[in-house]
Amino acid sequence: MARTLAMFTDVSLCIGCRACQVACKQWNQLAPEEPEWTGTYQNHHHFTDKSYRLVRFFEETDDKGQIKQWHMMSDVCKHCAQAGCLEACPTGAIYRTEYGTVNINQDICNGCRYCVSACPFGVVAFNHDTGTATKCTFCNDRIHNGLGPACAKACPTQSIKFGFRDELAVVARKRVDELKTLGYKDARLYGEDTAGDLGGLNAFFLLLGKPSIYGLPEKPKLPQKNVVVDSLLSIGSALIVGLGALVAFRGRGGQGDA
Amino acid sequence: MEPGLLKSADWPALIDVYFFLGGMAGGAFVIATVANLLDRERYRDIVRIGYYVAFLAVIPGPVLLTVDLGLPTRFLHMLMVAKPSDAIGMDAITIGPFHLKPFSPMNAGAWALLGFSLFAFLAALDVFLEGRGGRSMRTLRVVVGVIGGFFGFFLAAYPGVLLGATARPLFIGAHWLGALFLAIGASTGGAAIAFVLSLSGGQRGDALSRLMRFTAFALIVQLAALALFMLTVSTSGSAGIARSLSHLVAGPYGVPFWLGAVVIGIVVPLALQFAGVIRKTAPAMTALVSVLILVGGFVVKYVIIAAGQAT
Ligand code: SF4
Ligand code: SF4
Repeated sequence: MARTLAMFTDVSLCIGCRACQVACKQWNQLAPEEPEWTGTYQNHHHFTDKSYRLVRFFEETDDKGQIKQWHMMSDVCKHCAQAGCLEACPTGAIYRTEYGTVNINQDICNGCRYCVSACPFGVVAFNHDTGTATKCTFCNDRIHNGLGPACAKACPTQSIKFGFRDELAVVARKRVDELKTLGYKDARLYGEDTAGDLGGLNAFFLLLGKPSIYGLPEKPKLPQKNVVVDSLLSIGSALIVGLGALVAFRGRGGQGDA
Repeated sequence: MEPGLLKSADWPALIDVYFFLGGMAGGAFVIATVANLLDRERYRDIVRIGYYVAFLAVIPGPVLLTVDLGLPTRFLHMLMVAKPSDAIGMDAITIGPFHLKPFSPMNAGAWALLGFSLFAFLAALDVFLEGRGGRSMRTLRVVVGVIGGFFGFFLAAYPGVLLGATARPLFIGAHWLGALFLAIGASTGGAAIAFVLSLSGGQRGDALSRLMRFTAFALIVQLAALALFMLTVSTSGSAGIARSLSHLVAGPYGVPFWLGAVVIGIVVPLALQFAGVIRKTAPAMTALVSVLILVGGFVVKYVIIAAGQAT
Protein backbone atom coordinates (compact mmCIF):
# COMPACT_ATOMS: atom_id res chain seq x y z
CA MET A 1 0.00 0.00 0.00
CA ALA A 2 1.19 3.48 -0.81
CA ARG A 3 1.39 6.13 1.85
CA THR A 4 -2.05 6.99 3.21
CA LEU A 5 -3.54 10.17 1.85
CA ALA A 6 -5.81 12.31 3.96
CA MET A 7 -7.90 15.43 4.12
CA PHE A 8 -7.77 17.72 7.11
CA THR A 9 -10.71 20.10 7.47
CA ASP A 10 -10.11 22.94 9.91
CA VAL A 11 -13.49 24.44 10.79
CA SER A 12 -11.85 27.44 12.45
CA LEU A 13 -10.82 28.66 9.00
CA CYS A 14 -14.08 27.96 7.19
CA ILE A 15 -15.95 31.05 6.02
CA GLY A 16 -18.90 29.12 4.59
CA CYS A 17 -18.30 30.24 1.01
CA ARG A 18 -19.07 26.80 -0.39
CA ALA A 19 -16.37 26.98 -3.05
CA CYS A 20 -15.53 23.38 -2.15
CA GLN A 21 -19.12 22.27 -2.69
CA VAL A 22 -19.21 23.92 -6.10
CA ALA A 23 -15.77 22.65 -7.14
CA CYS A 24 -16.82 19.12 -6.20
CA LYS A 25 -19.97 19.35 -8.26
CA GLN A 26 -18.08 20.69 -11.26
CA TRP A 27 -15.19 18.24 -11.25
CA ASN A 28 -17.37 15.22 -10.62
CA GLN A 29 -19.98 16.47 -13.10
CA LEU A 30 -22.80 16.15 -10.61
CA ALA A 31 -26.10 17.37 -11.96
CA PRO A 32 -27.90 20.40 -10.51
CA GLU A 33 -30.52 19.84 -7.83
CA GLU A 34 -33.57 21.60 -6.52
CA PRO A 35 -32.40 23.83 -3.67
CA GLU A 36 -33.70 22.94 -0.23
CA TRP A 37 -34.73 25.37 2.47
CA THR A 38 -32.90 24.27 5.59
CA GLY A 39 -33.37 27.38 7.72
CA THR A 40 -29.73 28.39 7.31
CA TYR A 41 -27.34 29.01 4.44
CA GLN A 42 -26.87 25.28 4.25
CA ASN A 43 -28.07 23.56 1.12
CA HIS A 44 -28.95 20.58 1.24
CA HIS A 45 -29.97 18.99 4.51
CA HIS A 46 -27.63 16.14 3.91
CA PHE A 47 -25.28 14.55 1.42
CA THR A 48 -27.13 13.54 -1.72
CA ASP A 49 -26.23 11.49 -4.77
CA LYS A 50 -25.28 14.80 -6.35
CA SER A 51 -23.61 16.53 -3.40
CA TYR A 52 -20.52 14.78 -2.07
CA ARG A 53 -19.22 17.87 -0.26
CA LEU A 54 -21.59 19.74 1.99
CA VAL A 55 -20.95 22.90 3.94
CA ARG A 56 -22.94 22.66 7.13
CA PHE A 57 -24.08 25.64 9.20
CA PHE A 58 -24.85 25.27 12.88
CA GLU A 59 -26.06 27.72 15.49
CA GLU A 60 -24.80 26.88 18.95
CA THR A 61 -27.15 28.15 21.63
CA ASP A 62 -26.59 28.79 25.32
CA ASP A 63 -28.82 27.65 28.18
CA LYS A 64 -31.30 30.46 27.52
CA GLY A 65 -31.62 29.50 23.87
CA GLN A 66 -29.68 32.58 22.73
CA ILE A 67 -27.33 32.06 19.81
CA LYS A 68 -23.84 31.79 21.20
CA GLN A 69 -21.80 31.04 18.13
CA TRP A 70 -22.07 30.21 14.47
CA HIS A 71 -20.26 27.16 13.21
CA MET A 72 -19.42 26.33 9.64
CA MET A 73 -17.98 23.06 8.60
CA SER A 74 -17.29 21.54 5.22
CA ASP A 75 -18.35 17.93 5.62
CA VAL A 76 -17.33 14.97 3.52
CA CYS A 77 -16.97 11.19 3.50
CA LYS A 78 -14.48 10.32 6.21
CA HIS A 79 -12.79 7.46 4.32
CA CYS A 80 -12.75 5.60 7.62
CA ALA A 81 -9.90 3.19 8.30
CA GLN A 82 -12.62 0.79 9.47
CA ALA A 83 -15.45 1.68 7.13
CA GLY A 84 -18.99 0.51 7.82
CA CYS A 85 -19.99 0.98 4.20
CA LEU A 86 -17.11 -1.11 2.89
CA GLU A 87 -17.64 -3.95 5.33
CA ALA A 88 -21.38 -4.01 4.63
CA CYS A 89 -21.11 -4.10 0.85
CA PRO A 90 -22.09 -7.62 -0.28
CA THR A 91 -20.71 -7.23 -3.78
CA GLY A 92 -17.23 -5.94 -3.06
CA ALA A 93 -18.08 -2.80 -5.03
CA ILE A 94 -16.74 -0.75 -2.14
CA TYR A 95 -13.01 -1.18 -1.94
CA ARG A 96 -9.98 0.40 -0.34
CA THR A 97 -7.51 2.02 -2.68
CA GLU A 98 -3.75 1.82 -2.31
CA TYR A 99 -3.91 5.28 -0.77
CA GLY A 100 -6.22 4.14 2.03
CA THR A 101 -9.30 5.86 0.62
CA VAL A 102 -12.70 4.19 0.19
CA ASN A 103 -14.34 4.03 -3.23
CA ILE A 104 -17.48 2.60 -4.78
CA ASN A 105 -16.98 0.80 -8.08
CA GLN A 106 -20.07 1.87 -10.01
CA ASP A 107 -19.89 -1.13 -12.37
CA ILE A 108 -20.07 -3.64 -9.55
CA CYS A 109 -22.52 -1.91 -7.20
CA ASN A 110 -25.87 -3.68 -7.47
CA GLY A 111 -27.95 -1.07 -5.72
CA CYS A 112 -28.75 -3.03 -2.56
CA ARG A 113 -28.36 0.13 -0.38
CA TYR A 114 -26.90 -1.76 2.54
CA CYS A 115 -23.99 0.69 2.67
CA VAL A 116 -26.43 3.60 2.95
CA SER A 117 -27.66 2.38 6.32
CA ALA A 118 -24.26 1.10 7.44
CA CYS A 119 -22.32 4.37 7.35
CA PRO A 120 -22.09 5.81 10.88
CA PHE A 121 -22.16 9.31 9.37
CA GLY A 122 -24.94 8.91 6.82
CA VAL A 123 -22.65 9.73 3.93
CA VAL A 124 -23.54 7.29 1.16
CA ALA A 125 -26.48 8.32 -1.01
CA PHE A 126 -28.43 6.26 -3.48
CA ASN A 127 -28.72 7.46 -7.06
CA HIS A 128 -32.12 6.42 -8.36
CA ASP A 129 -31.17 7.12 -11.97
CA THR A 130 -28.22 4.76 -12.09
CA GLY A 131 -29.50 2.48 -9.33
CA THR A 132 -26.15 2.64 -7.57
CA ALA A 133 -24.72 4.06 -4.37
CA THR A 134 -22.50 7.13 -4.59
CA LYS A 135 -20.25 9.22 -2.40
CA CYS A 136 -17.05 11.24 -2.33
CA THR A 137 -14.08 9.45 -3.90
CA PHE A 138 -11.44 11.91 -2.72
CA CYS A 139 -11.42 12.72 -6.47
CA ASN A 140 -9.95 9.34 -7.24
CA ASP A 141 -9.08 10.35 -10.79
CA ARG A 142 -7.25 13.47 -9.63
CA ILE A 143 -5.27 11.92 -6.81
CA HIS A 144 -4.08 9.14 -9.09
CA ASN A 145 -2.68 11.84 -11.33
CA GLY A 146 -0.93 13.88 -8.72
CA LEU A 147 -3.61 16.49 -8.24
CA GLY A 148 -5.33 17.09 -4.93
CA PRO A 149 -9.12 16.78 -4.62
CA ALA A 150 -11.06 19.60 -6.26
CA CYS A 151 -12.51 20.84 -2.96
CA ALA A 152 -9.11 21.26 -1.31
CA LYS A 153 -7.81 23.02 -4.42
CA ALA A 154 -10.70 25.46 -4.42
CA CYS A 155 -10.82 26.31 -0.72
CA PRO A 156 -9.67 29.95 -0.45
CA THR A 157 -8.81 29.81 3.25
CA GLN A 158 -7.09 26.44 3.30
CA SER A 159 -9.73 25.18 5.67
CA ILE A 160 -9.45 21.99 3.62
CA LYS A 161 -5.92 20.64 3.42
CA PHE A 162 -4.89 17.56 1.52
CA GLY A 163 -1.73 15.52 1.80
CA PHE A 164 -0.05 12.54 3.41
CA ARG A 165 -1.85 11.55 6.56
CA ASP A 166 1.14 11.50 8.88
CA GLU A 167 2.26 14.97 7.80
CA LEU A 168 -1.22 16.44 8.06
CA ALA A 169 -1.63 15.02 11.56
CA VAL A 170 1.42 17.01 12.70
CA VAL A 171 0.01 20.19 11.16
CA ALA A 172 -3.35 19.51 12.79
CA ARG A 173 -1.96 18.99 16.27
CA LYS A 174 0.05 22.19 16.04
CA ARG A 175 -3.03 24.07 14.96
CA VAL A 176 -5.02 22.85 17.99
CA ASP A 177 -2.28 24.08 20.33
CA GLU A 178 -2.23 27.41 18.53
CA LEU A 179 -5.99 27.82 18.89
CA LYS A 180 -5.87 26.89 22.54
CA THR A 181 -3.34 29.63 23.27
CA LEU A 182 -5.65 31.99 21.40
CA GLY A 183 -8.40 31.12 23.87
CA TYR A 184 -10.38 28.47 21.99
CA LYS A 185 -10.40 26.11 24.94
CA ASP A 186 -12.68 23.53 23.35
CA ALA A 187 -10.70 23.12 20.13
CA ARG A 188 -10.04 19.47 19.38
CA LEU A 189 -9.30 17.03 16.61
CA TYR A 190 -11.93 14.58 15.43
CA GLY A 191 -10.83 11.33 13.80
CA GLU A 192 -7.12 12.11 13.72
CA ASP A 193 -6.17 9.38 16.18
CA THR A 194 -5.49 6.11 14.31
CA ALA A 195 -5.84 4.26 17.62
CA GLY A 196 -9.27 5.82 18.19
CA ASP A 197 -12.77 5.12 16.90
CA LEU A 198 -12.99 3.42 13.50
CA GLY A 199 -9.20 3.19 13.38
CA GLY A 200 -9.08 6.89 12.58
CA LEU A 201 -10.70 8.86 9.78
CA ASN A 202 -8.73 9.66 6.65
CA ALA A 203 -10.77 12.82 6.40
CA PHE A 204 -10.36 14.22 9.88
CA PHE A 205 -11.46 17.51 11.38
CA LEU A 206 -10.51 20.26 13.73
CA LEU A 207 -13.61 21.23 15.69
CA LEU A 208 -14.14 24.20 17.99
CA GLY A 209 -16.40 22.31 20.36
CA LYS A 210 -18.11 19.02 21.07
CA PRO A 211 -18.71 16.80 18.00
CA SER A 212 -22.44 16.90 18.71
CA ILE A 213 -22.51 20.63 17.86
CA TYR A 214 -21.57 19.57 14.35
CA GLY A 215 -23.99 16.67 14.23
CA LEU A 216 -21.14 14.19 14.51
CA PRO A 217 -21.40 11.13 16.75
CA GLU A 218 -19.23 11.36 19.88
CA LYS A 219 -18.15 7.77 19.53
CA PRO A 220 -18.82 6.41 16.05
CA LYS A 221 -19.05 2.63 16.07
CA LEU A 222 -18.31 0.14 13.33
CA PRO A 223 -21.70 -1.60 12.91
CA GLN A 224 -20.04 -4.89 11.92
CA LYS A 225 -18.62 -5.14 15.44
CA ASN A 226 -22.06 -6.58 16.29
CA VAL A 227 -21.81 -9.49 13.87
CA VAL A 228 -19.94 -11.91 16.12
CA VAL A 229 -22.13 -11.46 19.20
CA ASP A 230 -25.35 -11.42 17.19
CA SER A 231 -24.31 -14.60 15.37
CA LEU A 232 -23.44 -16.37 18.61
CA LEU A 233 -26.81 -15.44 20.10
CA SER A 234 -28.48 -16.71 16.92
CA ILE A 235 -26.62 -20.00 17.22
CA GLY A 236 -27.69 -20.21 20.86
CA SER A 237 -31.31 -19.72 19.91
CA ALA A 238 -30.89 -22.28 17.10
CA LEU A 239 -29.65 -24.81 19.66
CA ILE A 240 -32.60 -24.14 21.96
CA VAL A 241 -35.12 -24.35 19.14
CA GLY A 242 -33.46 -27.48 17.75
CA LEU A 243 -33.52 -29.10 21.16
CA GLY A 244 -37.16 -28.14 21.53
CA ALA A 245 -37.93 -29.88 18.25
CA LEU A 246 -36.10 -33.02 19.36
CA VAL A 247 -38.06 -33.14 22.61
CA ALA A 248 -41.39 -32.38 20.96
CA PHE A 249 -41.07 -35.08 18.31
CA ARG A 250 -39.30 -37.74 20.34
CA GLY A 251 -40.84 -40.67 22.20
CA ARG A 252 -43.98 -42.72 21.78
CA GLY A 253 -46.81 -40.94 23.65
CA GLY A 254 -49.61 -41.92 21.30
CA GLN A 255 -52.43 -39.79 22.69
CA GLY A 256 -51.21 -36.34 21.78
CA ASP A 257 -50.68 -35.08 25.29
CA ALA A 258 -49.67 -31.43 25.29
CA MET B 1 -25.81 9.02 17.59
CA GLU B 2 -27.73 11.83 15.99
CA PRO B 3 -30.30 9.98 13.90
CA GLY B 4 -31.03 13.06 11.81
CA LEU B 5 -27.63 12.74 10.19
CA LEU B 6 -27.88 9.07 9.43
CA LYS B 7 -29.39 7.67 6.30
CA SER B 8 -31.67 4.74 5.75
CA ALA B 9 -31.60 2.13 3.03
CA ASP B 10 -35.38 2.53 2.76
CA TRP B 11 -35.92 -1.04 1.72
CA PRO B 12 -39.46 -1.59 0.47
CA ALA B 13 -41.89 -4.04 2.05
CA LEU B 14 -41.02 -6.73 -0.46
CA ILE B 15 -37.76 -7.19 1.40
CA ASP B 16 -39.82 -7.86 4.52
CA VAL B 17 -41.78 -10.42 2.53
CA TYR B 18 -38.54 -12.08 1.51
CA PHE B 19 -37.23 -12.11 5.09
CA PHE B 20 -40.53 -13.58 6.25
CA LEU B 21 -40.72 -16.30 3.60
CA GLY B 22 -37.03 -17.16 4.01
CA GLY B 23 -37.43 -17.56 7.76
CA MET B 24 -40.56 -19.66 7.34
CA ALA B 25 -38.82 -21.83 4.75
CA GLY B 26 -35.82 -22.38 6.99
CA GLY B 27 -38.02 -23.22 9.98
CA ALA B 28 -40.24 -25.63 8.05
CA PHE B 29 -37.18 -27.38 6.63
CA VAL B 30 -35.57 -27.88 10.03
CA ILE B 31 -38.82 -29.22 11.50
CA ALA B 32 -39.19 -31.67 8.62
CA THR B 33 -35.60 -32.78 9.08
CA VAL B 34 -35.93 -33.39 12.82
CA ALA B 35 -39.23 -35.22 12.32
CA ASN B 36 -37.67 -37.33 9.58
CA LEU B 37 -34.70 -38.20 11.75
CA LEU B 38 -36.82 -39.28 14.71
CA ASP B 39 -39.59 -41.24 13.09
CA ARG B 40 -39.92 -41.12 9.39
CA GLU B 41 -43.12 -43.17 9.23
CA ARG B 42 -45.08 -41.52 12.00
CA TYR B 43 -44.24 -38.03 10.81
CA ARG B 44 -44.49 -38.77 7.11
CA ASP B 45 -46.97 -35.93 6.55
CA ILE B 46 -44.99 -33.36 8.52
CA VAL B 47 -41.86 -34.27 6.56
CA ARG B 48 -43.62 -34.10 3.22
CA ILE B 49 -45.44 -30.83 3.90
CA GLY B 50 -42.40 -29.31 5.63
CA TYR B 51 -40.12 -29.89 2.67
CA TYR B 52 -42.74 -28.66 0.23
CA VAL B 53 -43.39 -25.52 2.26
CA ALA B 54 -39.64 -24.86 2.47
CA PHE B 55 -39.17 -25.20 -1.25
CA LEU B 56 -42.23 -23.18 -2.24
CA ALA B 57 -41.44 -20.41 0.24
CA VAL B 58 -37.86 -20.01 -0.86
CA ILE B 59 -38.55 -19.81 -4.61
CA PRO B 60 -39.82 -16.21 -4.48
CA GLY B 61 -36.65 -15.15 -2.60
CA PRO B 62 -34.30 -14.49 -5.50
CA VAL B 63 -37.22 -13.07 -7.49
CA LEU B 64 -38.09 -10.53 -4.78
CA LEU B 65 -34.46 -9.55 -4.40
CA THR B 66 -34.04 -9.14 -8.14
CA VAL B 67 -37.14 -6.97 -8.34
CA ASP B 68 -35.63 -4.73 -5.67
CA LEU B 69 -32.24 -4.55 -7.39
CA GLY B 70 -33.68 -4.01 -10.84
CA LEU B 71 -31.66 -6.47 -12.96
CA PRO B 72 -31.14 -10.24 -12.59
CA THR B 73 -27.39 -9.95 -13.18
CA ARG B 74 -27.19 -7.64 -10.20
CA PHE B 75 -28.11 -10.44 -7.85
CA LEU B 76 -25.08 -12.35 -9.12
CA HIS B 77 -22.85 -9.49 -8.03
CA MET B 78 -23.62 -10.55 -4.47
CA LEU B 79 -21.64 -13.72 -5.15
CA MET B 80 -19.17 -13.05 -7.91
CA VAL B 81 -17.13 -10.40 -9.70
CA ALA B 82 -13.36 -10.69 -9.56
CA LYS B 83 -11.61 -8.37 -7.14
CA PRO B 84 -8.71 -8.60 -4.71
CA SER B 85 -9.81 -9.94 -1.33
CA ASP B 86 -7.64 -7.62 0.74
CA ALA B 87 -9.40 -4.53 -0.60
CA ILE B 88 -13.01 -5.49 0.12
CA GLY B 89 -13.15 -5.89 3.87
CA MET B 90 -12.35 -7.90 6.98
CA ASP B 91 -11.53 -11.58 6.42
CA ALA B 92 -12.91 -11.51 2.88
CA ILE B 93 -12.17 -14.61 0.83
CA THR B 94 -12.07 -14.75 -2.94
CA ILE B 95 -11.95 -17.93 -4.97
CA GLY B 96 -11.79 -17.26 -8.67
CA PRO B 97 -14.58 -14.83 -9.42
CA PHE B 98 -16.46 -15.70 -6.22
CA HIS B 99 -16.21 -13.90 -2.92
CA LEU B 100 -17.35 -14.49 0.63
CA LYS B 101 -17.43 -11.67 3.17
CA PRO B 102 -18.11 -13.15 6.62
CA PHE B 103 -18.69 -9.72 8.14
CA SER B 104 -21.25 -8.76 5.52
CA PRO B 105 -24.40 -10.64 6.51
CA MET B 106 -25.97 -9.69 3.20
CA ASN B 107 -23.18 -11.43 1.31
CA ALA B 108 -23.21 -14.48 3.58
CA GLY B 109 -27.01 -14.53 3.39
CA ALA B 110 -26.93 -14.58 -0.41
CA TRP B 111 -24.76 -17.70 -0.25
CA ALA B 112 -27.09 -19.24 2.31
CA LEU B 113 -30.06 -18.52 0.07
CA LEU B 114 -28.31 -20.27 -2.80
CA GLY B 115 -27.29 -23.25 -0.68
CA PHE B 116 -30.68 -23.57 0.96
CA SER B 117 -32.52 -23.37 -2.36
CA LEU B 118 -30.48 -26.29 -3.67
CA PHE B 119 -31.14 -28.50 -0.65
CA ALA B 120 -34.79 -27.47 -0.41
CA PHE B 121 -35.17 -28.50 -4.05
CA LEU B 122 -33.52 -31.87 -3.45
CA ALA B 123 -35.62 -32.57 -0.36
CA ALA B 124 -38.85 -31.56 -2.09
CA LEU B 125 -37.92 -33.70 -5.09
CA ASP B 126 -37.27 -36.67 -2.84
CA VAL B 127 -40.63 -36.50 -1.06
CA PHE B 128 -42.33 -35.89 -4.39
CA LEU B 129 -40.80 -38.99 -5.96
CA GLU B 130 -41.64 -41.01 -2.88
CA GLY B 131 -45.22 -39.81 -3.10
CA ARG B 132 -45.38 -41.01 -6.70
CA GLY B 133 -44.51 -44.48 -5.53
CA GLY B 134 -40.79 -44.16 -6.11
CA ARG B 135 -38.27 -45.23 -3.53
CA SER B 136 -36.78 -42.61 -1.31
CA MET B 137 -33.12 -42.95 -0.51
CA ARG B 138 -33.09 -42.87 3.26
CA THR B 139 -29.50 -41.93 3.92
CA LEU B 140 -29.50 -39.36 1.19
CA ARG B 141 -32.56 -37.67 2.62
CA VAL B 142 -30.94 -37.51 6.03
CA VAL B 143 -27.79 -35.95 4.57
CA VAL B 144 -29.78 -33.45 2.51
CA GLY B 145 -31.93 -32.68 5.54
CA VAL B 146 -29.05 -32.07 7.92
CA ILE B 147 -26.94 -29.93 5.59
CA GLY B 148 -30.01 -28.08 4.35
CA GLY B 149 -31.10 -27.64 7.95
CA PHE B 150 -27.95 -25.69 8.74
CA PHE B 151 -28.58 -23.47 5.74
CA GLY B 152 -32.19 -23.16 6.92
CA PHE B 153 -31.18 -21.89 10.33
CA PHE B 154 -28.82 -19.46 8.66
CA LEU B 155 -31.48 -18.23 6.27
CA ALA B 156 -33.90 -17.60 9.12
CA ALA B 157 -31.43 -15.75 11.35
CA TYR B 158 -29.24 -13.76 9.00
CA PRO B 159 -31.67 -10.90 8.27
CA GLY B 160 -31.63 -10.09 11.98
CA VAL B 161 -27.84 -10.07 12.09
CA LEU B 162 -27.88 -8.00 8.90
CA LEU B 163 -30.03 -5.33 10.53
CA GLY B 164 -27.82 -5.39 13.63
CA ALA B 165 -24.84 -4.53 11.43
CA THR B 166 -26.23 -1.17 10.34
CA ALA B 167 -25.81 2.23 11.96
CA ARG B 168 -29.56 2.66 12.48
CA PRO B 169 -30.16 3.67 16.11
CA LEU B 170 -32.77 0.98 16.76
CA PHE B 171 -30.38 -1.73 15.58
CA ILE B 172 -26.84 -0.72 16.43
CA GLY B 173 -27.28 -1.31 20.15
CA ALA B 174 -29.43 -4.42 19.74
CA HIS B 175 -27.97 -7.88 19.80
CA TRP B 176 -31.00 -10.14 19.74
CA LEU B 177 -32.45 -9.62 16.30
CA GLY B 178 -30.77 -12.70 14.79
CA ALA B 179 -32.04 -14.86 17.64
CA LEU B 180 -35.49 -13.31 17.33
CA PHE B 181 -35.68 -13.86 13.59
CA LEU B 182 -34.56 -17.44 14.03
CA ALA B 183 -37.34 -18.10 16.53
CA ILE B 184 -39.87 -16.43 14.21
CA GLY B 185 -38.66 -18.73 11.44
CA ALA B 186 -39.28 -21.73 13.68
CA SER B 187 -42.73 -20.62 14.84
CA THR B 188 -43.95 -19.59 11.39
CA GLY B 189 -42.41 -22.70 9.80
CA GLY B 190 -44.30 -24.83 12.32
CA ALA B 191 -47.48 -22.83 11.82
CA ALA B 192 -47.27 -23.16 8.03
CA ILE B 193 -46.97 -26.95 8.25
CA ALA B 194 -49.73 -27.11 10.85
CA PHE B 195 -52.00 -25.01 8.67
CA VAL B 196 -51.66 -27.31 5.68
CA LEU B 197 -51.78 -30.43 7.81
CA SER B 198 -54.93 -29.46 9.67
CA LEU B 199 -56.76 -28.49 6.52
CA SER B 200 -55.67 -31.49 4.49
CA GLY B 201 -56.86 -33.76 7.27
CA GLY B 202 -53.72 -35.78 6.78
CA GLN B 203 -52.83 -35.93 10.44
CA ARG B 204 -51.82 -39.26 11.83
CA GLY B 205 -51.90 -40.01 15.53
CA ASP B 206 -50.45 -37.26 17.62
CA ALA B 207 -48.23 -35.73 14.93
CA LEU B 208 -50.19 -32.52 14.69
CA SER B 209 -50.41 -31.96 18.42
CA ARG B 210 -46.68 -32.54 18.75
CA LEU B 211 -46.09 -30.03 16.00
CA MET B 212 -48.26 -27.50 17.80
CA ARG B 213 -46.40 -28.15 21.00
CA PHE B 214 -43.11 -27.40 19.27
CA THR B 215 -44.59 -24.28 17.67
CA ALA B 216 -45.72 -23.05 21.07
CA PHE B 217 -42.21 -23.62 22.38
CA ALA B 218 -40.77 -21.60 19.49
CA LEU B 219 -43.24 -18.82 20.35
CA ILE B 220 -41.90 -18.71 23.89
CA VAL B 221 -38.36 -18.36 22.56
CA GLN B 222 -39.66 -15.67 20.21
CA LEU B 223 -41.25 -13.78 23.10
CA ALA B 224 -38.07 -14.03 25.16
CA ALA B 225 -35.88 -12.82 22.29
CA LEU B 226 -38.26 -9.93 21.63
CA ALA B 227 -38.13 -8.91 25.28
CA LEU B 228 -34.34 -9.14 25.33
CA PHE B 229 -34.14 -7.08 22.13
CA MET B 230 -36.19 -4.31 23.71
CA LEU B 231 -34.27 -4.54 26.94
CA THR B 232 -30.83 -4.18 25.31
CA VAL B 233 -32.06 -1.32 23.14
CA SER B 234 -33.68 0.54 26.01
CA THR B 235 -30.61 0.21 28.23
CA SER B 236 -28.12 1.44 25.63
CA GLY B 237 -28.79 4.92 26.87
CA SER B 238 -28.65 7.32 23.93
CA ALA B 239 -31.42 9.79 23.24
CA GLY B 240 -31.56 8.86 19.56
CA ILE B 241 -31.94 5.20 20.37
CA ALA B 242 -34.65 5.88 22.94
CA ARG B 243 -36.50 7.88 20.32
CA SER B 244 -36.37 4.99 17.87
CA LEU B 245 -37.61 2.54 20.45
CA SER B 246 -40.53 4.73 21.40
CA HIS B 247 -41.34 5.03 17.71
CA LEU B 248 -41.67 1.25 17.68
CA VAL B 249 -43.60 0.68 20.87
CA ALA B 250 -45.59 3.89 21.25
CA GLY B 251 -45.40 5.83 18.02
CA PRO B 252 -47.01 5.04 14.67
CA TYR B 253 -46.02 1.37 15.00
CA GLY B 254 -47.23 1.00 18.58
CA VAL B 255 -50.64 -0.50 17.77
CA PRO B 256 -49.44 -3.04 15.17
CA PHE B 257 -46.54 -3.90 17.44
CA TRP B 258 -48.54 -4.65 20.57
CA LEU B 259 -51.71 -5.88 18.95
CA GLY B 260 -50.30 -7.65 15.91
CA ALA B 261 -46.88 -8.85 16.93
CA VAL B 262 -47.39 -9.52 20.62
CA VAL B 263 -51.09 -10.22 21.30
CA ILE B 264 -52.27 -11.83 18.06
CA GLY B 265 -48.97 -13.38 17.10
CA ILE B 266 -47.76 -14.72 20.42
CA VAL B 267 -50.06 -14.30 23.45
CA VAL B 268 -53.33 -15.56 21.98
CA PRO B 269 -51.81 -18.65 20.29
CA LEU B 270 -49.92 -19.51 23.47
CA ALA B 271 -53.00 -19.06 25.63
CA LEU B 272 -55.05 -21.30 23.37
CA GLN B 273 -52.29 -23.89 23.34
CA PHE B 274 -51.92 -23.98 27.09
CA ALA B 275 -55.66 -23.94 27.70
CA GLY B 276 -55.75 -27.12 25.68
CA VAL B 277 -58.25 -25.61 23.27
CA ILE B 278 -56.25 -26.67 20.24
CA ARG B 279 -56.16 -30.32 21.17
CA LYS B 280 -59.80 -30.68 21.92
CA THR B 281 -61.36 -28.84 19.04
CA ALA B 282 -61.63 -29.34 15.34
CA PRO B 283 -58.66 -28.93 13.04
CA ALA B 284 -60.18 -25.61 12.01
CA MET B 285 -59.03 -24.21 15.35
CA THR B 286 -55.46 -25.32 14.68
CA ALA B 287 -55.64 -23.74 11.27
CA LEU B 288 -56.86 -20.50 12.77
CA VAL B 289 -54.12 -20.40 15.38
CA SER B 290 -51.57 -21.12 12.66
CA VAL B 291 -52.80 -18.15 10.70
CA LEU B 292 -52.48 -15.94 13.79
CA ILE B 293 -48.88 -17.08 14.27
CA LEU B 294 -48.06 -16.42 10.62
CA VAL B 295 -49.62 -12.97 10.71
CA GLY B 296 -47.84 -12.12 13.96
CA GLY B 297 -44.51 -13.38 12.59
CA PHE B 298 -44.78 -11.11 9.60
CA VAL B 299 -45.99 -8.11 11.58
CA VAL B 300 -43.17 -8.26 14.13
CA LYS B 301 -40.54 -8.28 11.40
CA TYR B 302 -42.35 -5.60 9.46
CA VAL B 303 -42.75 -3.14 12.33
CA ILE B 304 -39.20 -3.58 13.60
CA ILE B 305 -37.74 -2.97 10.15
CA ALA B 306 -40.10 -0.08 9.43
CA ALA B 307 -39.45 1.66 12.76
CA GLY B 308 -35.71 1.11 12.43
CA GLN B 309 -35.66 2.59 8.96
CA ALA B 310 -37.87 5.55 9.83
CA THR B 311 -36.02 6.83 12.88
S1 SF4 C 1 -17.74 8.01 6.26
FE1 SF4 C 1 -19.29 6.50 5.74
S2 SF4 C 1 -19.19 6.38 3.51
FE2 SF4 C 1 -17.28 7.36 4.19
S3 SF4 C 1 -15.82 5.64 4.43
FE3 SF4 C 1 -16.74 6.00 6.44
S4 SF4 C 1 -18.46 4.53 6.46
FE4 SF4 C 1 -17.87 4.75 4.33
S1 SF4 D 1 -25.51 -0.31 -2.75
FE1 SF4 D 1 -23.73 -0.89 -3.98
S2 SF4 D 1 -21.96 -0.09 -2.89
FE2 SF4 D 1 -23.69 -0.07 -1.44
S3 SF4 D 1 -23.54 -2.01 -0.34
FE3 SF4 D 1 -24.92 -2.38 -2.08
S4 SF4 D 1 -23.57 -3.13 -3.71
FE4 SF4 D 1 -22.23 -2.19 -2.17
